[in-house]
Amino acid sequence: MAKKPSLGRQKIAISKIPKKNHLQVTFSKRRSGLFKKASELCTLCGVDIGIIVFSPASKVFSFGHPEVEFIIERFLAQDPAPPDSGECRLIEAHRNANLRDLNGILTQVLEELEAERKRGEALDEMRRESQRQCWWEAPIDELGLCELEQLGGSMEELKKNVMRWINELMKSENSS
Amino acid sequence: MTRKKVTLAYIANDAARKATFKKRKNGLMKKVSELSTLCGIDACAIVYSSYQAEPEVWPSTLGVHRAIARFKNMSEMDQSKRMVNQQEFIRQRIVKAEEQLKKQLHENREREIVQVMYRALVGEGLQGLIIVDLNDLGWMLDKTGKEIEERIKKLKKSTPSSEQAASAELQADKAAPENHAALNDVVAVEATQNQPWYMDLLKPRNEGDALNLGRNDPMPSYPYGNPTPSWSDFYFP
Repeated sequence: MAKKPSLGRQKIAISKIPKKNHLQVTFSKRRSGLFKKASELCTLCGVDIGIIVFSPASKVFSFGHPEVEFIIERFLAQDPAPPDSGECRLIEAHRNANLRDLNGILTQVLEELEAERKRGEALDEMRRESQRQCWWEAPIDELGLCELEQLGGSMEELKKNVMRWINELMKSENSS
Repeated sequence: MTRKKVTLAYIANDAARKATFKKRKNGLMKKVSELSTLCGIDACAIVYSSYQAEPEVWPSTLGVHRAIARFKNMSEMDQSKRMVNQQEFIRQRIVKAEEQLKKQLHENREREIVQVMYRALVGEGLQGLIIVDLNDLGWMLDKTGKEIEERIKKLKKSTPSSEQAASAELQADKAAPENHAALNDVVAVEATQNQPWYMDLLKPRNEGDALNLGRNDPMPSYPYGNPTPSWSDFYFP
């Protein structure tokens, strides 16, 4: 069986991570996840959000809806409500329409991705099934010398036939 | 925890939206807090909503002021380098997802071609495959062929030649199965015609098998040739 790609979800204590690499990786992943959650909150509930995060290397990441600067200014001005005017509302309407489109595209791609992942799993399952029946489908590493030689020879033959067949097809395509 | 799939769109229902807001807002604050503690970094979050006049903040009003001050102390370029709004962020997500999709499609294609290869080896005809498929099949055969050669080399180095001769003799006992339709028959070879061959050959492996791979199930046995095999005897086009 193939090695597991990752350890999966592990419970960790909420205290500073001792190992530097681990810390950096965690920062990267969680920062990304945090922005994703913020983005979803904005979309689902139509709220304005600002997030500022300083990295272990003292770089700064920020997320803001509608913009990081707007949120900062609004906060500093202790303004309960954002400036409102016909123009603002028009801009907001445009922005929201654009975001709806983008979210639509994102949803579509994510669905396709999910479908392909499931297909991949189904194909793997089929392979495992046929490996139980047919020894020559086993991973190369598991085969013995004699079996390998036979298999290799059969493959060479098949390859020749494939090339022959390709030539036939190309010939008939050219002649038609 | 029950997980319903949530559509990435504004929640029209007021009550549902309010409930979602409360949960997710709390979750967001928790995540910022964890990030800050786990990685020992500064951060702040500000959430404005129609549900209350003042924004909700993390860690505290003072903490936010400090973070903003530190932020503003940085150069314009440093500030904007990793700054995103919703549009940009969603676009980034789309790009990432498309890359993952491309990779997954490629992997699935490989899996498919491998299956086609193994089916072709046991006799399903090459008819029905278009040139693109055939090219990929040829590529996969080359690739697998090379792996087999590598492996053979490796085994030959570690196995003394007397063992090889002994195991080859054992295989000579096994019956070679019948041959099948030649590839050159342009007439379509029904898949069903070819299936029976390995069903008939269901044969448990011998105990004295030098190539015991630990399989005890009765299984279709690939025909073992003579020590000097002639491939035409058992390659099944």
